[in-house]
Amino acid sequence: MTDAAVPLVVEGMTTSIRLQGRLHHVVRDMSFVIRPRETLALVGESGCGKSMTALSVMGLLPPAASITAGRVLVDGVDLVGADEATRESLRGDRLGMIFQEPMTSLNPVLPIGFQVGEALMRHRGLSKRQAREKARELLELVRVPAAAERLDAYPHQFSGGMRQRVMIALALACRLRVLIADEPTTALDVTIQAQVLALVADLQRCEGLGVLLITHNLGVVASVAQRVMVMYGGDVVESAPVAAFFARPTHPYSSALLAAMPRIEGGSQLQPIPGQVPPLGDMPDGCRFRSRCPLAHERCAALPPMTPVAGDPDHLVRCWARSDA
Amino acid sequence: MNATPLLDVRGLKKVFVTRKGWPIPKVAQVRALDGVSFTVGRGEVLGVVGESGCGKSTVARVALRLSEADGGSIDFDGADVLAASKLDLRQLRRRMQMIFQDPASSLDRRQRIVDAVGEPLLVHGLATRKTVRDEVARLIDEVGLPGSALDRYPHEFSGGQRQRIGIARALALRPDLIFADEPVSALDVSVQAQILELLGRIRRERGLSFVFISHDLGVVRYFCDRVVVMYLGRVVEEGPVPEIFVEPLHPYTRLLKVSSPEPDPARAVTMTFQEGEPPSPVDPPSGCHFHPRCPKANACCRESRPQLREVSPGRSVACHYPG
Repeated sequence: MTDAAVPLVVEGMTTSIRLQGRLHHVVRDMSFVIRPRETLALVGESGCGKSMTALSVMGLLPPAASITAGRVLVDGVDLVGADEATRESLRGDRLGMIFQEPMTSLNPVLPIGFQVGEALMRHRGLSKRQAREKARELLELVRVPAAAERLDAYPHQFSGGMRQRVMIALALACRLRVLIADEPTTALDVTIQAQVLALVADLQRCEGLGVLLITHNLGVVASVAQRVMVMYGGDVVESAPVAAFFARPTHPYSSALLAAMPRIEGGSQLQPIPGQVPPLGDMPDGCRFRSRCPLAHERCAALPPMTPVAGDPDHLVRCWARSDA
Repeated sequence: MNATPLLDVRGLKKVFVTRKGWPIPKVAQVRALDGVSFTVGRGEVLGVVGESGCGKSTVARVALRLSEADGGSIDFDGADVLAASKLDLRQLRRRMQMIFQDPASSLDRRQRIVDAVGEPLLVHGLATRKTVRDEVARLIDEVGLPGSALDRYPHEFSGGQRQRIGIARALALRPDLIFADEPVSALDVSVQAQILELLGRIRRERGLSFVFISHDLGVVRYFCDRVVVMYLGRVVEEGPVPEIFVEPLHPYTRLLKVSSPEPDPARAVTMTFQEGEPPSPVDPPSGCHFHPRCPKANACCRESRPQLREVSPGRSVACHYPG
């Protein structure tokens, strides 16, 4: 595996945040790769570190937080420790990000066409007129109806689904290789969610885009992702190809999440997960899920390593009770 | 379940008038509710399903007279809600309570929990200053919060705990019917399951009826007995759970079902690109509101509005070509 073929490689990344003079790890020892045309889903509940992972990769962490270990390679260039100019040139050009609420990322007082064109002028050095023409093409690519007329429209004149398409157009403006999508469809109705996800899948096929999809919805994961990583308290607790994950969810947190989800097809009773995610300052040592885990044991005071499930090197779990050893 | 329903809503209409623009405002009418009818039996949970802007929250607001209806009738246990005097309304509201999606915004952040939950008890004379604390303590215990919660403020609680407080407050007046407007939509899956379990237990123990408004078909399937599906202010389908999800009759219900992803790769939803946004309620399509997005639509659907009619016992659909 050469770094050039893999647009995004994250190795042993730890992100820490300083709160009242104490350093807390919000993402611990995170490693993954995103290949072209592939969707990796990052799953977990509020506060598990999903969004912090995305912001770390994008270099958009708030001032109190920083990457304290590991590497983030974009097209082979390490972003950690790189100067701001290098980071700036890769972010927005090779790496793009879309958020849950597109309205907060779009400037309400600038027309859509200008906002999409801005990145092109900045990163590609296009003239105003060329940028406008390219912006129209991009809006057509994301299937905004009557794109030419809507270049001069403002964000409030678009519906939620349309705004998210504009965000995708914006992200696609340059030579994008990896799209980081942080809960991109959570605020949308299900029929519109299906449209936006279908659009992203099309772009992956045509443009070879790799996607890091952050979501709490396991249904979305089953439908669009090839691989899945489950996070809890800043740790990856399970990592697997999608089929293997749903056939054999192995970490107690993974199976608990699945058992807590009501399904249209009906069937079993819901099993809530007792308790709640402990606050950052109160995380237990070792396995952070042990305060809620039905299988908790003394040895869980030490953090378990990621080990293969049933000898499958692609399916890894971080649990003493569920590892083969 | 008695033969007479607890809540009987007939032909409910609500029109919002919007004025936009300056200096000469453009006046537009939004028919949020365009002749909505449904019933809720005693001890029954009715799910109301639909996408943003379909009028599902307006139903609850109009039924509680937080917003005045423009037509139709609402009968609650023999009383005419829309014609009720201020005094009668107070009694009716004691028996009909509401749970909101975001309990944080419905709690006063400077009010301790004992005061927030106790206030309705004092207002309705169900407790005195002496007994109110004990009464609130019982409610707080019933919704699974520790007694220490009484003297704390809303910001000290997580989203799930705040929803428990919202539920305790709705239960305080011992209502017969609760309107729950997206009560678990803002919560994480594991907490959502905790709240659904709590609502289920309360329902069983108190024999409550619910109007459960949600956009999540999985949650509705789990919690509800019967469902009405709304689209742009109209009921397009009604039926019992699970039949309505197993074999939806209206094309819109079917679209909702195929668009809702299930956590099972074998049943992955094919994320096909179906063009068409939900049309604006300001300017709804003619005939059947759904026709611009419907694969089966023809001239008839564009011209005439299909009426909700019973196609088999308990199942109704508003479609010219159901099934």
